[in-house]
Amino acid sequence: MPSRFVFAVGAVLLLAACGGSTPTGNGLGTGALTVGVIAPFTGADAGLGPAYYAACLPAALSINNNGGVGGRMLSCSKFDTRGEPADAVPAANQMVASTSGLMAAIGCTSDEASTVVPIIDRAHIPMFCMTGQSEFNKTPLKYFHRLVPADVYDAYAMVGSALFGPGHAPYKRAALVFGGDIGSQAFVQPATNAFTKLGGTIAINQPIQLGAPSYRTEVQAMLASHPDVIFTEALGSAGTYLKEVKTQNNGQMIPFIGSSATIDPEWFQQVRDAISLNDLLKYYAGVDLGYTFSGAAYTEFLTNLNASASQFADAPKYKQRGSTLHLYDGIIMTALAMVATNSSDPTVYNPKIIDIANGTSGAMVVNTYKDGVAALKAGKSIRFEGAGGQNNFNQWNNSQSGYILVGYDKDGGEVTTGQLTPDQTSRIFAAGGS
Amino acid sequence: MDLFVAAFGFGLVSMSVIAIAAVGFTMQFGITNMINLAYGEVMISSAYVAYYLNRAGFTIWVGMAAGALFGAVFSFLLNRILYAPFLRKGTSHLGMVIVSLAVSLMIANLLLPIVGYFPVSYQEDPGRLIRWGSIALTRDQFIIIGIAVVLMLAIHALLTYTRLGKAMRATAANPTLARNCGIPTQRVIDAVWLITGALCGLAGVVAALDSDSFAIANGATFLITVLAAAVLGGAGQPYGAMIGAVLIGMITELSAAAWSPQYKEVVAFGILVLVMVLRPQGLLAKRGALAAAG
Repeated sequence: MPSRFVFAVGAVLLLAACGGSTPTGNGLGTGALTVGVIAPFTGADAGLGPAYYAACLPAALSINNNGGVGGRMLSCSKFDTRGEPADAVPAANQMVASTSGLMAAIGCTSDEASTVVPIIDRAHIPMFCMTGQSEFNKTPLKYFHRLVPADVYDAYAMVGSALFGPGHAPYKRAALVFGGDIGSQAFVQPATNAFTKLGGTIAINQPIQLGAPSYRTEVQAMLASHPDVIFTEALGSAGTYLKEVKTQNNGQMIPFIGSSATIDPEWFQQVRDAISLNDLLKYYAGVDLGYTFSGAAYTEFLTNLNASASQFADAPKYKQRGSTLHLYDGIIMTALAMVATNSSDPTVYNPKIIDIANGTSGAMVVNTYKDGVAALKAGKSIRFEGAGGQNNFNQWNNSQSGYILVGYDKDGGEVTTGQLTPDQTSRIFAAGGS
Repeated sequence: MDLFVAAFGFGLVSMSVIAIAAVGFTMQFGITNMINLAYGEVMISSAYVAYYLNRAGFTIWVGMAAGALFGAVFSFLLNRILYAPFLRKGTSHLGMVIVSLAVSLMIANLLLPIVGYFPVSYQEDPGRLIRWGSIALTRDQFIIIGIAVVLMLAIHALLTYTRLGKAMRATAANPTLARNCGIPTQRVIDAVWLITGALCGLAGVVAALDSDSFAIANGATFLITVLAAAVLGGAGQPYGAMIGAVLIGMITELSAAAWSPQYKEVVAFGILVLVMVLRPQGLLAKRGALAAAG
């Protein structure tokens, strides 16, 4: 009798542990699906998490409005890493251990990628990470995917903007003003290598403490080095730093070139309020991946992004945020991979993500989840080209694409100002050592 | 050398901001015996009051007055509604610290959906740069220094020459004896929360103005600096807090000039730890205005 009782309790516990949405290994299973948004929502890089959450919500709408993944509805859960590896580990463990129906994770920025990516990979959860760290350039981790180039290329694009950008003579003396966090510091070495080998001088390399109440002395030291351009990514502190540049430089700004992370609505608002709209438009140059912000995929994304405002009021602000577009695409591709393999087992559908992104011979190009599901049900193989454009994953699950030179319009929209020629690009790459 | 002279000038501004906040914090502790860890959140709440007034078209100086008023009323109510009932029940010092930490988290989380997480700026022209050798400060920075000097003198006058100040010192030294001598200690404590709350609110607006842009997360940042200055000077000692503010403000700016600015707070807090090791009671313990004769 006692052994039967123990067996019964054991069986109940085993079933309870499995939960209600267990993948069957065959078929798409039942119960809700979740995408974990693991990123900084507080801390110095708190601007990143909302941009990624704004990717998940429209993807969930796009999928749910078209029958879900085999009838399973998708939702988004936030896991705050605070931009700190120490806080990110428990967040990742919590996400993996306590989230039922976890089909994918997005976010994992440079701040925390080194610590959270192995945890997510061990749990066999496909992830789309916004880290630019070079350690992931040739990663053996099978569940890791990166839809943006490594930071080294972002840094090269900034150098390209300084040397070959429109509307100015090549800048000769650059101040490097990057946050002291892991993600921002990744730009320093490649920018230094490329800029100096192409004839430029680093006037000062100034890692700044993000979130400090003031940067007066830092700005004074930077101005004393007489740069003619500033390379920067100091998320959260850009307004304070740049306002002090303007104040201490007798009301005059110095041209500043931001990384692709500075194409962000919150960054725009912060810097606009600090230095004035006119100065932002006149002195700012940025770099970004070449988006068209048009076409069927983008229209679908934009429609669902605007509809997401009922859940996240600021969501529509991210209509031109590159990472928002890419992560949206990542979730759609994962859902299509599940449909294509008719499986909710990540070990089965994860390899299919690359096929969906890169396409196989004779694949039909689709731009929306709805069209993708219809094509798959018609027995066709597909290639998904989403809101962020075409993807080309290499053997290390890195998808590469080229950069454009950009600025802002008065409403915070992205404006393309130029493009680097293949010759310019190869010169910068060679100078940087890539 | 020019950079160090300039950093010295910036240090004057930093120490002025810290002094206003630290003196309020340390007086609150010295007289009411309450370590109020919600102080930073009251500061940032007041900064946002000024921000919304500024957005509505009022000058930042009106916002500053409103921030001080808000800080006074908010702190007074915090004590009357939340802290005082716990104290009446005999909650221990450690218990009160935990209560104030909980209040701090509650304020931050209640404020978050209203103000959002992202930095905002006052719409205020800081005025032209006024140069004196290598020192170059804006009109607003000179005003901040002026406000701090006037307030420090006012605090000195309050504690030294007024009946209220003497009653505060008596309450700080021995509240039971003070009550037995006919001092209305409850009214004195109410006055302390109003005065130190006003300093807290004013400090919040001044710190936010000085930072050019600020966010909700700055509440915790402010508190760490204020705590450091108060502890360095000797907990509960207003003059000690002034000295602590001078040291913390100057060291952070000068170390940013000397080494990598990434480590400026590490240097300042390293010196704080060193002082605490050599003189655990702080620089001015038992010699300040609020100390019992010793």
